[in-house]
Amino acid sequence: MRRGISAGFTTYLLRDDLTETTLFVEDRALAAAMLARDRKAAAEFVQRFTGPLAGYVRSRLQPRWEDVDDIVQDTFLTALRSIHNYRGDAPMRAWILGIARHKVEDHYRERLRHSVVPEETADSELIEDPGMDALLDKVSSEERTASILRVLPEHYRVVLLWRYWEQRSAAEMAEMSGKTVKGVERLLARARDEFGARWRGKQKEAAA
Amino acid sequence: MNLDQWMAELAAETPLEVNEQASSCLKSKIYSALILALEEDGPLLPLPETKKAGRALCVFEQLVEILPAPDAVQSLQYCKVCHAKALGERLENAPIYWPGCPYCEFQNR
Repeated sequence: MRRGISAGFTTYLLRDDLTETTLFVEDRALAAAMLARDRKAAAEFVQRFTGPLAGYVRSRLQPRWEDVDDIVQDTFLTALRSIHNYRGDAPMRAWILGIARHKVEDHYRERLRHSVVPEETADSELIEDPGMDALLDKVSSEERTASILRVLPEHYRVVLLWRYWEQRSAAEMAEMSGKTVKGVERLLARARDEFGARWRGKQKEAAA
Repeated sequence: MNLDQWMAELAAETPLEVNEQASSCLKSKIYSALILALEEDGPLLPLPETKKAGRALCVFEQLVEILPAPDAVQSLQYCKVCHAKALGERLENAPIYWPGCPYCEFQNR
């Protein structure tokens, strides 16, 4: 099954199929069975949620897929340890994806912690916009975005994904990564510049 | 529009494609890790109770379940010594076909 994460994490959760109250009852039963250490419930837990978790984590780590399996497994182990906190008032899928989001952010924080914040330079934020008209063609826009994200230096990719797809503010990112807000903003500005330049490059290629 | 606004719009309009397919090896490894963690925390639900809860048992678990054995035996995790676990963790589309076996059910066939 393929899904899109169109406007950040919240939208992804809202697009969940499991929004019927009756299904939360199933989720509660599954949680209760897990707490009773039912081995087959653990299998059901894995069968139901590995796909959504792997899909979400892959989309947020691209192209560093080598870390995906570890993060997914770590998410499951954390979920198991905190299954008593699942109250069944929301889909279990949303609950476990929330745990995965924290794991992805841990990964971002770790990556960002070791990146060098660029020196302050002249503001390049007011350069001409890279061409929103390209967004009219959604498919090529998605492909272009993904292909640019894949080739960006890792710390640029991480800050862009964290800021715009996970919708965290520069202040939150700074707090989580131990960097200054100014530092994160400078990194974001560089990352945006780089992304914009590559976007325009691809646009020229397409036009030629 | 500055680049910040442009990026925000781009992210809002541009899904990052999510393929919700997971490999059976990954599911198998995660299941093994979860069971290990469950066991470390205490005995598993005995097989007769697992069956009573409506869960399907594999052929080996069924054999243990009908034995007049104490809970300590009924709570053991027999998958640890089963070839289905070894194959499931290492091979996609592993040649394992036991009904009631999680490692078989993880196969994307």
